[in-house]
Amino acid sequence: MKAWLHSVRVLVWKDLLQEWRSRDILTSMLAFAVLSLFIFNYALELSPLNRAEIAPGIVWVVMVFAGTLGLNRSFTAEQDQGCFEGLIMAVPDLSAIYFAKLLTNLLMMVFLAVLVIPIYSVLYNQSLFNWAFFGVLALGAWGYSAAGTLIASMTVQTRMRDLLLPVLLFPLLLPVNMAVVKSCGVLLGSVAGQDINSWLNLLLVYDVIVTMLSIMVFEYVIKE
Amino acid sequence: MNLQARQISKSYGAQRVLDKLDLSIAEGEVVCLLGPNGAGKTTLIRTLSGLQKPDSGELYWAAQSESFDALPLRRSIGLILHQPFLYEHLTAFENLRFYSLLYETGLSETDLRKMLSRVGLGNARPIPVRGYSRGMKQRLTIARALLCDPQILLFDEPYTGLDQQGCGMLNQLVQEESALNKLVLMTTHELSFIRQIATRFDVLHRGKIAASFSNDGISLDALQEQYNAVVSAGKSPRKEQA
Repeated sequence: MKAWLHSVRVLVWKDLLQEWRSRDILTSMLAFAVLSLFIFNYALELSPLNRAEIAPGIVWVVMVFAGTLGLNRSFTAEQDQGCFEGLIMAVPDLSAIYFAKLLTNLLMMVFLAVLVIPIYSVLYNQSLFNWAFFGVLALGAWGYSAAGTLIASMTVQTRMRDLLLPVLLFPLLLPVNMAVVKSCGVLLGSVAGQDINSWLNLLLVYDVIVTMLSIMVFEYVIKE
Repeated sequence: MNLQARQISKSYGAQRVLDKLDLSIAEGEVVCLLGPNGAGKTTLIRTLSGLQKPDSGELYWAAQSESFDALPLRRSIGLILHQPFLYEHLTAFENLRFYSLLYETGLSETDLRKMLSRVGLGNARPIPVRGYSRGMKQRLTIARALLCDPQILLFDEPYTGLDQQGCGMLNQLVQEESALNKLVLMTTHELSFIRQIATRFDVLHRGKIAASFSNDGISLDALQEQYNAVVSAGKSPRKEQA
């Protein structure tokens, strides 16, 4: 377990250093998110009354689409320079590679949420500064990153990875999308008569199950 | 400790690349694997390294039967393939430190800098690897492969991109490692360089080791002649070991 955690820590350090130097992933995610928020702002005629109803949907959709850009590139360095093979030779337990990538992608999504929330609040004149709201987005980001990292590790080895990733990933994200949007809606008071706990339970169970399953099958995925 | 591969077969679809191949490398040996393009040299290296499963066959390391991807064996291998396994946005030192930490080598910063000097990158500017020439990347790849103090060196076309000095440096490193009783298997078409250090030449042809001859001061012309004879005829003129 100690060696596994050590590998995870080293791999995350490497991913973050690479990203800090290249800014490939964050730049594209942020540019896409800001542009999408602007477009939604002009395209939707929002009254003060329906803003709360639509806020969770807009924020989460923007995060999911922007996150896909990041997921698509998260294994590029490993694939382009053959580093997958270098990692396979060096890492004692290959699931550490998956978990490290999951953590990196999760950090990117959380960072994205930290930036999207204030931009949304300014553009749409509605405050989303709420720890519980942020917490639900973070739980959603975990489930998204857990499923997305596994699918990205499969699609990165194909020529049509840009197309295949969303096609394979989005159906798997249905429970996460529902749970995040409904939970955030309850928190903002736009969804009446629903219990937030059932949605949060769904989100947590999804996150844990997908993470565990992915850890179990990752070795098979990258070796095959 | 010997490395033995017995009856290894590997096919890609209908094409049989390795056909019940037998190979044995003793410690201290520097075996050069020769063969025409598409003969299966890279496939054999990938199979021995555990990156690719054979369809059938067995691997013995120190007389013990081993799974091809067993962890102790995997981490005893210094591997060079066509791609460098380097992260382009990290510097040479950071790449070495990253792999050193993954392998848990315990090497200090001074040790890593010595390693860079060993491959002629001691005075290289600390810029990301993407700014390096092909030859500099290859030198760094060699350092990366030797980082974990491997017992088995599997080098696929290691002279690629290296200048004359680089080839000389690689030869010297391989000889130093071989003197420490390590096993070396290299594939190359650079016969003039490999002739200086190889102890044995194996010719891979039609999925098998078609010929094997020791390097008893063989001249370049004689080596080329023997190799051509094996590849064109499919049999060895001076077969010592099947």
